[in-house]
Amino acid sequence: MDQMISSLTFSHYFLTGAVLFVLGMIGFITRRNMIVMFLCTEMMFQGVVVTLAAAAAMHGNVTGQTFIIFVLTIAAAEAALALGLVILLFRRRQTLDAGAWSELRG
Amino acid sequence: MDPQLVLYLASVCGAIALWLLMPRGRALPWWRGGLAAMIGVGALGAGWLSAGVRWWGEVDLAGGLAGGGGDAGLSVLAVAYYYVFSGVAILSAVRVITHTKPVYSALWFVMVVVATSGLLVSLAAEFMAFAMLIIYGGAILVTYMFVIMLASQSSPEDVIEEQPEYDRASTEPVWAVVAGFVLLAALLSVGFDAPTGNPDAVGMSDAEIIETRLAERLVVTEEDEARQALSSTPAVDATALSNSERLGLDLFEGHPLAIELAGVILLVALIGAVVIAKTKVPEEIARNAAATPGAGGATVRPTGEAGPDSPEVLGSTRS
Repeated sequence: MDQMISSLTFSHYFLTGAVLFVLGMIGFITRRNMIVMFLCTEMMFQGVVVTLAAAAAMHGNVTGQTFIIFVLTIAAAEAALALGLVILLFRRRQTLDAGAWSELRG
Repeated sequence: MDPQLVLYLASVCGAIALWLLMPRGRALPWWRGGLAAMIGVGALGAGWLSAGVRWWGEVDLAGGLAGGGGDAGLSVLAVAYYYVFSGVAILSAVRVITHTKPVYSALWFVMVVVATSGLLVSLAAEFMAFAMLIIYGGAILVTYMFVIMLASQSSPEDVIEEQPEYDRASTEPVWAVVAGFVLLAALLSVGFDAPTGNPDAVGMSDAEIIETRLAERLVVTEEDEARQALSSTPAVDATALSNSERLGLDLFEGHPLAIELAGVILLVALIGAVVIAKTKVPEEIARNAAATPGAGGATVRPTGEAGPDSPEVLGSTRS
């Protein structure tokens, strides 16, 4: 019985991770403030972290948790670089609007 | 009703609720928030229930779980904690992407981090839970708050029309929500078969790991005995590993190269951040040159041509 409940909730943890990831993605698309956009990428990382931890528990080893450490490493590096870039762009245009840079189309 | 269909319907309802909550450049009417909250909570509940019914049925059919995978360490109580923390995480995440003030978005994101840490604790991943709290809530979020305070124009208290236009209006809310929830529905329909324990994952038990790799743990020295005699707490079980011990073993025995690479990435990011911060900005140089001859040029920094807002005074309080 205990095992059944636990296997049931693993799927629920995956559901939570997927919802967090999707919400972060929607936020990244809809928000126009560059800082909040990068905050939303951090939220996508949160979804990935929940999924990894649930997978680790499901497989009964800690490899997924080990991987969270590397996700955190990348998140920290990304935050440092992205915020530096945001500050640089703000110094150029005095606005945080991502639309101010809309002439940068591929 | 087919649980799969309920999952799809829940995705649609969630999409509608989120669309209702998206900022539109003016204050939301009161009924809109309430309606969205009702639809959203209903969708979440329906999703949870149908997911439960679906997977519960399959697990039941299989006649319990094919063992393996070791002890997951989940208790019945963890299920209750799951619902609490997961609800907090998802609702806070919705507020992060719908709030029109960046500072409040960041604060709601702290709630997401705290709830995620709670989820990790309920998954018996204590070490990572506290690492997440410390690194995300303590370091990354503080950096974000600094940048928000450095770069935001101050806006009046609660008048939504006075906030910068890029904060109070969202781009393409319909298509973003549709795309996101189509992705979610696809994930929910494809990704998750009823998960059972992985039979291949039967690793070494704690006792085996300790015997082969941490043999010195079993050696009881006289010093240990003397300390134990003095202390009132029961002895630590030498044959069980804690979460951080297992994590450390896996990290340093299984992924030594990856640790080195992570260090290199951090170093590169550090150097890159310094380079970006020291980059000279032509517009700023021009602005400074224009500001110096005028009176009070040292404290007032006028905005450039592209700046839509009034000049801000350095050192003034900003929200």
